[in-house]
Amino acid sequence: MNKRKQSAKTQTQTKRRGGDPIPWKYCLLTLCCGLLLVVGFFFAARSHFSSIDFGIKNSRLRKQIDELEGDKRRLILSKEIALSPAEIKKAAKKIGLTEMNASNIEVYRPNPNAVKEKPKVIEKPKLEFLNKPEEVKKEVKKSEDKPEKKAPDAKDKPERTKVQLAKK
Amino acid sequence: MATRLKKVTNRKNPRQTAFTRFMLIVAFFILWIGAIGVRLVHLQINQSEWLREKAQDQRRDEVKIKTLRGTIYDRTERTLAMSVKVKSLYADPKEIDDVEFTAQQVAAALKIKPDAILKDLREAKENNKRFVWLAQKLDEDTAQKLNKTLDTADLKKFDAPKFKGLHWREEQKRSYPYKNLAAQIIGFSNAEDVGQSGIEQSQEESLRGAVVKSWQDRDRLGRVYDQSETTRQPPKDVVLTISHSIQYKVEQALEKGVKASNSKSGTAIVLDPRTGEVLAMAAYPSFDPNRYTEFPAENYQNKAIQSIYSPGSIFKIVAYSSALDLKMITADSMIDCSRGFIEVAGHRFNDPHATKTMSYIEAMAVSSNVAAIKTGLSLGKENFYGYAQKFGFGQPTGIELPAEARGLFRAPQTWNGDSLASMSIGYEIGVTAMQMATAYAAIANNGVRIKPHIVKEIRDSTGKAISVTEVEQTPIVSAEAAHGLRRMLREVVLKGTAKRAQLNGYTSAGKTGTAWKYNAKIKRVDAGKYVSSFVGMAPAENPAIVIVVVMDEPSGGARDGGQVSAPVFREIAEQILPEMNIVPDNTIQQENLTAQVIPSEIEKVELPATNDAEIVEKGDLPKKELKKIAEKVAVGETIKETKKVEKQTKPDARKEDKSPSEDKKIKPKPAIVTTEKKNKSSTEKVKKKT
Repeated sequence: MNKRKQSAKTQTQTKRRGGDPIPWKYCLLTLCCGLLLVVGFFFAARSHFSSIDFGIKNSRLRKQIDELEGDKRRLILSKEIALSPAEIKKAAKKIGLTEMNASNIEVYRPNPNAVKEKPKVIEKPKLEFLNKPEEVKKEVKKSEDKPEKKAPDAKDKPERTKVQLAKK
Repeated sequence: MATRLKKVTNRKNPRQTAFTRFMLIVAFFILWIGAIGVRLVHLQINQSEWLREKAQDQRRDEVKIKTLRGTIYDRTERTLAMSVKVKSLYADPKEIDDVEFTAQQVAAALKIKPDAILKDLREAKENNKRFVWLAQKLDEDTAQKLNKTLDTADLKKFDAPKFKGLHWREEQKRSYPYKNLAAQIIGFSNAEDVGQSGIEQSQEESLRGAVVKSWQDRDRLGRVYDQSETTRQPPKDVVLTISHSIQYKVEQALEKGVKASNSKSGTAIVLDPRTGEVLAMAAYPSFDPNRYTEFPAENYQNKAIQSIYSPGSIFKIVAYSSALDLKMITADSMIDCSRGFIEVAGHRFNDPHATKTMSYIEAMAVSSNVAAIKTGLSLGKENFYGYAQKFGFGQPTGIELPAEARGLFRAPQTWNGDSLASMSIGYEIGVTAMQMATAYAAIANNGVRIKPHIVKEIRDSTGKAISVTEVEQTPIVSAEAAHGLRRMLREVVLKGTAKRAQLNGYTSAGKTGTAWKYNAKIKRVDAGKYVSSFVGMAPAENPAIVIVVVMDEPSGGARDGGQVSAPVFREIAEQILPEMNIVPDNTIQQENLTAQVIPSEIEKVELPATNDAEIVEKGDLPKKELKKIAEKVAVGETIKETKKVEKQTKPDARKEDKSPSEDKKIKPKPAIVTTEKKNKSSTEKVKKKT
């Protein structure tokens, strides 16, 4: 009996020692858990570093905003300086303008005793043809020779209308 | 058999052994984890604060930032005062190894001598100090240039400048883009950005930039990756009622007036009587708040509200308006000034201008002292004092500017026998220009006094108005009385002492005042020193502006308010009324200033009949030479002539200014006439020369 029992025990021991002591399911589960942990760590690290990266970017942007605001203020200030009346006065003086005082306003009063000169009649400049085809020259000459059509005077208009009315 | 059994019993059960071993390992781990846990608990509970601080110190910086001070705008949204960020360079001597080299480099970059820097750095290093200013409040461009100059290639440093031991600190600088414009109103702030005078001082609470604490977490390279700060309350912006354009015109006219009359100083106020808004407030001489240390402290004073003076005749409105309001007189009723003097309590008050029975309008026009004294005496002490108080004398107007004077106005119990008579003509009292402006604004506004104000609104950082100044109205005299007084004041400008306050295109009304100054040394009025003033309003019927002009100690010949201050009033009013879109209510005299074709003097020059003429005809003479000949003849002579004309005109002006009575005899000649003379004479001379 004892022998039998002993032999059974040794049999089972040899069986356990010779085969896989942990079932593969457990191994898989452990592996999964380990993998999950590693992935978790990986994601945590990634998010941590990305948050730091975002933080750095954020602080840079903040700094940029501050700098831009500062620039904006400086520009406003320089605009105001440029538009100040004193600066405008300076600029006007630079380009040769002077303040309007009685001393620098010159009013011309013509001498009543002086003989009035006849106004000069400016002659109509003759058209010069330079490197133009002869056809064009002829057309222009024709237009010059033709008597100018008189524009209907204001007085003529009512007469014409009266005639038209009479005809009607 | 027994030995075999013993062997069997002595041999340990392998499972048990493994279990025991396993348990030992577990126990060891439990103990180990327990020890760690205990240590962790100890660290977390007992040493947490110390550890937290240590950790924070390693990665976190505490930065104190002062938010930029609020901006001051005028009514047209133009910036009058603004703060900008600037940078200051400092050194940490502990980080510096070679002090001499650093001093030399910094001095070269700043273009200064290195001795002072070297001395400071050495002293700081010896005393283990970690902060030394090297250059303060540099603008952004200069800072960038310095960064480039001080750049060390091999150095690993997170902040600029890339130079060992040097750092920037952000600060702020107050700038006043319009320089002298409205300097006394705006005031200035000191190096610590605390308002010292004007609006900067009175609105300090709104304008002040709060100190904000912020924490910056840095990585190993010094880059900021996290930032947190305490809740900040951004400063507010202040909008004033003044207009920069009107202010400039007023300042220009005042400066011109002060120089023309050779006065010690001058003050001018432009007030809108319907709203109580101060459109301009100027005092000459002024200062530039950007570099206020370079000016005498006297110039900082806003004389319009801080300086007290004897008003003289401009105070007569109190007696007349009170009598009109109490219906004791009307503008057209008559008063006897026949003797030309009046004696009150043994004091004789002379009046050379009015020596007959005349209407109150006429009495006001000639500024009769007798009429004013008689009116004041008929009112009685209590009535006079009551009305003067109603007008706001003897108390600050309440304008939003610091250190406003109350003025001097004693209670009736302390008056002498002749005090009422003296006060009726503007003596024995002291007023500010602002008080006078407010009193006349009440007359302009049909007897309703409006509290003057200079702050239009206060805005938050988003531009939303959080506080708007409301108009405070106090009726003083009836509308009829105010209208009657305006009629009297109109007559002053038309026929009386203020003819020079007549405007082109607008009707005006006002009163002149010339008072002797009180000399504290001799304890009586000094007959040689005057305060000449004019208070006017325009248009006369429905006034849109009230202008006060006060000249202190004019000494250029003319001393009367009508001659010294009234022209300044005219110049201001004629310029600003069209700008305010006030429709002209009077005839406009168009001065003939249209440009006409003047025959050029250069063209007229006849060239000498020498061989040169032939050359000119041939066109060989260069144009430059032609111009030179022409300039010699034309320009040189005209300059000489203009100087002569100026010399001639000056004594004429003095003659005119001597006394108002001479006004009628000598009419002021318009400037155009003198220029005409100049032109004629200059052209004649040119002809002679040629």
